[in-house]
Amino acid sequence: MSTTSGEPLLEVDGLRVDVGERNVLESVSFDVRPGNLLVLMGANGSGKSTLGLALAGHPRYRVTGGRARFDGQDLLALEPQARARAGLFLSFQSPPDIPGVKNNLFLRTALNAVRQARDGNDSTPLDAFDFLALAREQARRVGLPEAMLSRSVNDGFSGGERKRNELLQLALLQPRLAILDEADSGMDADGVRALVELIGTMRKQGSAFIVVSHYQHLIEQLQADAVLKLVNGRIAGAGDPAPAASIAHAGGAHAGRGA
Amino acid sequence: MDSIIADARSARDWLQAHGWIARRAEHFRVLPPPPGDVWLGAQPDATPDVAAAPPAARAGWTVRHLDGDPQIPVDVAVLDAFDPRQRSRLLDGLPPPGVGTDGNEDDAAPFAWAHRALCREGLKLRVGYGAAHQGAGQAAPSVLSLQLQHRAGSPVEAPLLVIEVAPGVRCRLVEAHMFGSATGAEAALPAAVVQNLQVHVRLEAGASLQVVRHVAARPADCIAHHLQVRVARDARFELATIAAGSRYQLHRQQIGLLEPGAIGRSASLVLCDGTSLNQQFRVDHQAPDTVSDVEALALGSGAALAGLDAWTRIAPDAAGANVRQRLTGIPTAGEPRFVLRPHLEILNDQVQAVHGATWGSLPEEAIFYARQRGLDGSAARGLIIEGMAQDLLRRAISDAAALDSLGVDALLQSAVREHLAPQCGAAS
Repeated sequence: MSTTSGEPLLEVDGLRVDVGERNVLESVSFDVRPGNLLVLMGANGSGKSTLGLALAGHPRYRVTGGRARFDGQDLLALEPQARARAGLFLSFQSPPDIPGVKNNLFLRTALNAVRQARDGNDSTPLDAFDFLALAREQARRVGLPEAMLSRSVNDGFSGGERKRNELLQLALLQPRLAILDEADSGMDADGVRALVELIGTMRKQGSAFIVVSHYQHLIEQLQADAVLKLVNGRIAGAGDPAPAASIAHAGGAHAGRGA
Repeated sequence: MDSIIADARSARDWLQAHGWIARRAEHFRVLPPPPGDVWLGAQPDATPDVAAAPPAARAGWTVRHLDGDPQIPVDVAVLDAFDPRQRSRLLDGLPPPGVGTDGNEDDAAPFAWAHRALCREGLKLRVGYGAAHQGAGQAAPSVLSLQLQHRAGSPVEAPLLVIEVAPGVRCRLVEAHMFGSATGAEAALPAAVVQNLQVHVRLEAGASLQVVRHVAARPADCIAHHLQVRVARDARFELATIAAGSRYQLHRQQIGLLEPGAIGRSASLVLCDGTSLNQQFRVDHQAPDTVSDVEALALGSGAALAGLDAWTRIAPDAAGANVRQRLTGIPTAGEPRFVLRPHLEILNDQVQAVHGATWGSLPEEAIFYARQRGLDGSAARGLIIEGMAQDLLRRAISDAAALDSLGVDALLQSAVREHLAPQCGAAS
């Protein structure tokens, strides 16, 4: 990794984001270092999902001010796929269906694109056979039934299966920074356990995380380095994870104005 | 021979007396076909030149056994329409030109008469007619898979294809229509082809035919494919079409569900990159408990024009009929035009019918999702369009193994990539 543990992997400074005519994030600043885990909390509509989608480059989320640097480069100047190939991963709150596209084909295409970007010409694309062996192993790890690999992406999946499919992608793509937007919602206890274990393993390997969650139990298990509280598009509180409990209890009481 | 020439002349006389399809004709006004002379060749009044008729061996058809039960008899005959005996065999059992599955004159009758005037050859494919497989009632009927290919070879041509499937026999067919060059004879290949193809399919009781049609036209080609299908009791016809548009292109499918329990499904993927295509479905439910499902997805770019037209009639006797129509047009770039016309004529109260038309867009959330996983914009669009097309074709052909055995994945991938190729530079 080019970034040492002392330098931020992600630096966000005064980020302002509009969705359509509406301002959702007013001025957000924070940074994340390799291996760190930052918890993002806040009431519904406070702008948590907007932050993740804007950092990932969703075209509907227009950055109108501030800057974001990822591993020293201007993140906001990159296309969404370039951000992904650089190692930024977003686990979607509501992953979309892609009817007719087999999950294993989608995942293999994504993995080969990321590997090619990461390893350059030294990267040999994984063929279907090698990929399937890898995908089966990771599917077992996150508790996703193997049959889901040959079905269309998220098509007919339950809420929990969709979230496990996001975990599978996380495990396969091994990003440098993962933004997990309510990755635990809809998951059963085994799923949450798999999530916590996967995050723990990846952190040891240097991956950083921004975790959006409303559940104090999960936050406690994750051993966060810091907790941010978003209120009305601004960071209203930041610091050690200790206040997470009070934020978790108070989070729902804040009226939001964002997406 | 005199009778053949007289037959061709009488077809031209019919056209002269009745005229060509009017520009304002209900089902053709979106994309009016070129005038009758175009479909008859350069000399519309000329006497058919018997000497110029191609020998059957050069007629452009090839049939290959793919897999399946070798015990199912297959009779393949390329027949010369100017040979009295062969002509009689070719036309045996076919309805008179221009008569639809409902027995009435069809809106596209002039095409059928122009075909009769020009037709020089045809392929007759009979599946399952033989001692071993005559009669329905096998506990687990076996399946036969065939590949049929036609390569255009004349500037103006009117080929004929007749397919008959014996009672209880199951057949899968991949039918490819090629207009580009094979190896070798490039110099002789016309730069643009006018092709008026008539296809007649007859499925006997309990038979099943699953067809994947691929029409790989070039932009300058002018094509009209008329498919008329007659489905008997408890027989099943399933068709998946992949077609790229051209200067003029018509795909007209008439499916007659003639006896109780007959099923007809058809799904078409229409790809128009600045070109035109008119997909017409005509379904006649003439008997009780019949099922039909027709669906088309048009993807257009540039100044493309795609007309999707579905018309289903449920006869007064067709109680318990189940009907679905779905037409969708999605622009992939530029400002294509889609005209979608679903239409139902229901003459019985005890039926289920669903129809709809959608002008849509590619699913932006899914495209962003794929890009967030590292795919570039054109790869994401290609994958998602291929998925939509897969889904569409799999709704028509109920048996996934059939699509796999007919190699649909490769066909789809190549057709979608060709459609998106001009946009790849522009999209990231």
